[in-house]
Amino acid sequence: MMQESTTNSPFRLAAWKWAAMIILIFVFIAGWIVPLKPGIIKVTPDRAVAGEMMVVDVIGYNSFYLTDTTKLRGWLRLSGDTVIQAHHIQAWDDRNLSASFYIPSVFPVRQEAYPLTLVLDHGAEGTSILPNAIFITPASVQDTAEMKLWFRDKIEHVHEKAGVQYPFRNILAETIRNTYFHVPMWFCMIILFGVSAWYSLQYYRNADIDFDRKSVAFIKVGLVFGLLGMVTGMLWAKNTWNAYWSWDVKQNMSAISLLIYAALMVMRSSVEDDMQKARLTAGYNMFAFVLLIPLLFIIPRMTDSLHPGNGGNPALGGEDLDNTMRMVFYPAVVGFILLGLWISQLVYRTDKLKGNL
Amino acid sequence: MKLNKSCHIYGLFQPSMSVKSILAFLLLMIFQTAQAEGESTPDFIRSIGKIYVVAGVCLIILITLFIYMIRLDRKISRIEKRQKNE
Repeated sequence: MMQESTTNSPFRLAAWKWAAMIILIFVFIAGWIVPLKPGIIKVTPDRAVAGEMMVVDVIGYNSFYLTDTTKLRGWLRLSGDTVIQAHHIQAWDDRNLSASFYIPSVFPVRQEAYPLTLVLDHGAEGTSILPNAIFITPASVQDTAEMKLWFRDKIEHVHEKAGVQYPFRNILAETIRNTYFHVPMWFCMIILFGVSAWYSLQYYRNADIDFDRKSVAFIKVGLVFGLLGMVTGMLWAKNTWNAYWSWDVKQNMSAISLLIYAALMVMRSSVEDDMQKARLTAGYNMFAFVLLIPLLFIIPRMTDSLHPGNGGNPALGGEDLDNTMRMVFYPAVVGFILLGLWISQLVYRTDKLKGNL
Repeated sequence: MKLNKSCHIYGLFQPSMSVKSILAFLLLMIFQTAQAEGESTPDFIRSIGKIYVVAGVCLIILITLFIYMIRLDRKISRIEKRQKNE
């Protein structure tokens, strides 16, 4: 991988470097131009009392309610398949509709308040869901006869919108596209640190100063990608969690792992003797990589985290990364990793030139 | 064409000119954005403002990587200069 190009032509590049460029161009184009599926962004009013008729105004996102109004259906879902169906739905324009529901005065389960999920189905546009859309406070007078208004297994024949689109997730909305830009930063960082640890191991075997140069080049670039992951994550957190830093377990652990590697670079610069520097770096670096595994893969999974993909958040865990997203996400990971390896190689070659002078 | 060795990325264009043209471009962009937001029916993408986060994330990544490449380029130029002097 560390071969230098033999010709002077600027277009004579290794195939994997061309691959990195082409893949990343694809990722940036596809990550931006593919639209989201329709979603619901707002429901008013968001609370009501049981045993009354209510009309809710719904604001949609990327929706076309007027396309075929006869195919509009709506439900309020209590849990699982326990639902009430809308009496009437009136679409005002492509993004606004009103739906009327009668909220039964009795509920199949007894709770302080009942969060209901709004489900809309449209023949051409597919299904859109808003979790916890309306909170119902129990009625003072309960009529047990109204229990039959709750249906089970009544959401059927729902439609799936055809075509290439990313899923609409609540909380995330358009920022679901950050899966292609923020997440690969961390993948790339881990791979670069892994390659670096491998070269440190090689240094222990051969005591060749060149392996030390290689491992340090990969750490330098890995730190840049880690920092990018952190800063892009903080920008998203400011918008979504209202704070750049909210001491979430995933934020803390990634900060610690970056600090470990930053400390490695500081330690290196404080050692005078080159051989001693290389030996210390190699030992430290292998331990640092081993530490990454609990810090990034184990501890964040042991506790609850706000981060998408972790428990309690309707975001990227498992089923939420759908097949359309995979077609962009996997190339994004590969493309950014190749770019990281490419930059690291350039850093290594530069450091080698500097060392030989 | 034989390129001058000292022709690194800053040498490719005149700094004073580029600053002016970048400023003009930014002003044009701000003006157009303001105009678009003044329309009576804002499109759905801007209605929740989440797309700006994605734009910010992409810009941070691209700008950081470009700055890193420029620094690397200057480092290589310095080494080349030193090599020539020896």
